[in-house]
Amino acid sequence: MADSQTGTKSAGDSRPMDIPEPKFNWMNQSRQWGTRVTPDKKGLTLDKTNVGIYGEVPQRWGDQGRNPRGAIPVKGALPIGYSVTQKTELWADCAAELYEEAIQRRWAPATDVPWSSIQPLPNDVEVAICQVCTEILQYANIDIEVLTNWQHRMSYGYHEVKQFLATASLDAARRYEAFRKRALINGGGLGLEPTGQANRFLLESRGGWTETVAGLALIRTLFVATVCEYLYKHSYNDAERVVYSFVIQDLARLLTYGVEHLKFSLAHDDERRGSVITMIAIGLGMFARDLRDPVLREALAIVFGGGISGARNEGMSIYYDLIEDFRERHLAMRRWLDLPADAATMPRAFRPRDQN
Amino acid sequence: MASEFTFPSLDWLQAVREVFNTTDMYRGAGSGRCDCVVGLKIEGAVFIVEFEGFGCTGVRQANEAELENVDFYLDMPYELWKSMLENISANNHAIGEFTLNTLDLGMEQGIAHSKHEDQYRQDLFVRYNQTMQFFFDASHRISTTFEEIVAS
Repeated sequence: MADSQTGTKSAGDSRPMDIPEPKFNWMNQSRQWGTRVTPDKKGLTLDKTNVGIYGEVPQRWGDQGRNPRGAIPVKGALPIGYSVTQKTELWADCAAELYEEAIQRRWAPATDVPWSSIQPLPNDVEVAICQVCTEILQYANIDIEVLTNWQHRMSYGYHEVKQFLATASLDAARRYEAFRKRALINGGGLGLEPTGQANRFLLESRGGWTETVAGLALIRTLFVATVCEYLYKHSYNDAERVVYSFVIQDLARLLTYGVEHLKFSLAHDDERRGSVITMIAIGLGMFARDLRDPVLREALAIVFGGGISGARNEGMSIYYDLIEDFRERHLAMRRWLDLPADAATMPRAFRPRDQN
Repeated sequence: MASEFTFPSLDWLQAVREVFNTTDMYRGAGSGRCDCVVGLKIEGAVFIVEFEGFGCTGVRQANEAELENVDFYLDMPYELWKSMLENISANNHAIGEFTLNTLDLGMEQGIAHSKHEDQYRQDLFVRYNQTMQFFFDASHRISTTFEEIVAS
């Protein structure tokens, strides 16, 4: 029996329910029907869906709603207030490719790292590794916050970038996880929180995403990638080697997005050049202040030198090799972007050793 | 390991390619989709190795001029190539100073180069580093003999 008050129907009741007659008038409404995207030997990748109107990436996305590119928007929806609405403010041609790459080249710290390969290490080395892990996982935390803080301000018209940045957030979360696990697996623990001037600089960057990318990619990401390359070379077991090598690849994608976005933005927006140069100068200044704190420098020197005794000369020398590699890579990227690239203008911490 | 393959040679690269393309672990964690064209410069010899999707789609002999067109090329002294492959053969994969990553750091100008000055293409070496490593690690499954080359 149907309940006359609630409109529900009991089992065995054959009377029709009092439901509205469907009109189906939402059907046959599409901005472009008949689309057929085709997979190739790489599968059906995101960039392959960019056909017809679905592949039209506008210079400006005026829709202030969450309308997916190519769909018919809701009429009368309240504006959400996206602030990154110009293609020059976030675009990189490689974003869809990097998204696919991040998905397909994924790894899981829980099961893909041979954690059992880690054996007890001398106390000074273990303390130093744990301190380095603490610093890197803190950086990863900041990366997550910076990326997600900007993602929700970006228009839906540029979904390739939003999706790639979602993977970059996951990469950062995985980086946090992997370094935390390394710090806690061998009788050690987390060390001191880093001083974090550069962290504040990245977190409080409000001027624009492009400017934030300049600091995030050309300074923070490049530095952590360089550190990981040196850690890889001076790793103590297979678990560390796997973590460092996989993290280097993850960071390379964010770095690639950053450089390619800056290239695109600088090529299409003359106004950006000055603010990007300023942002890099401020960022390097903040980062140089962080490097004055001896904790990371000494911890890395101990890792590279195989202990405190080796840290004094060999380890510290390798640390300065790392800083020089960072500087040269940073300057090479600035040259590629046609930005001023004179080492003499960098803070003292990054200048060649004989100029300090 | 029925046959022996001489390094460097096209036959050797084809044998490595076969192992790489048919071994599941080389498509596992840290690897995956890889799209790039890589040059190998081994003393006087030049080879091109192409990766697309999840596999190595081709290897061929080339000449120096063709290095202009690759995304990046690996160049190191013959003795270092030999030591790297011997290390891989002894351990089933590269360890210590003989991984591509560490070899790259250890040389003044690195081992990955390009002639086009395109940062994006050059950086593919880092983005696909583990795939490159897996490719050379696959050589442990073939029997390698080394051509006697006197370093120039």
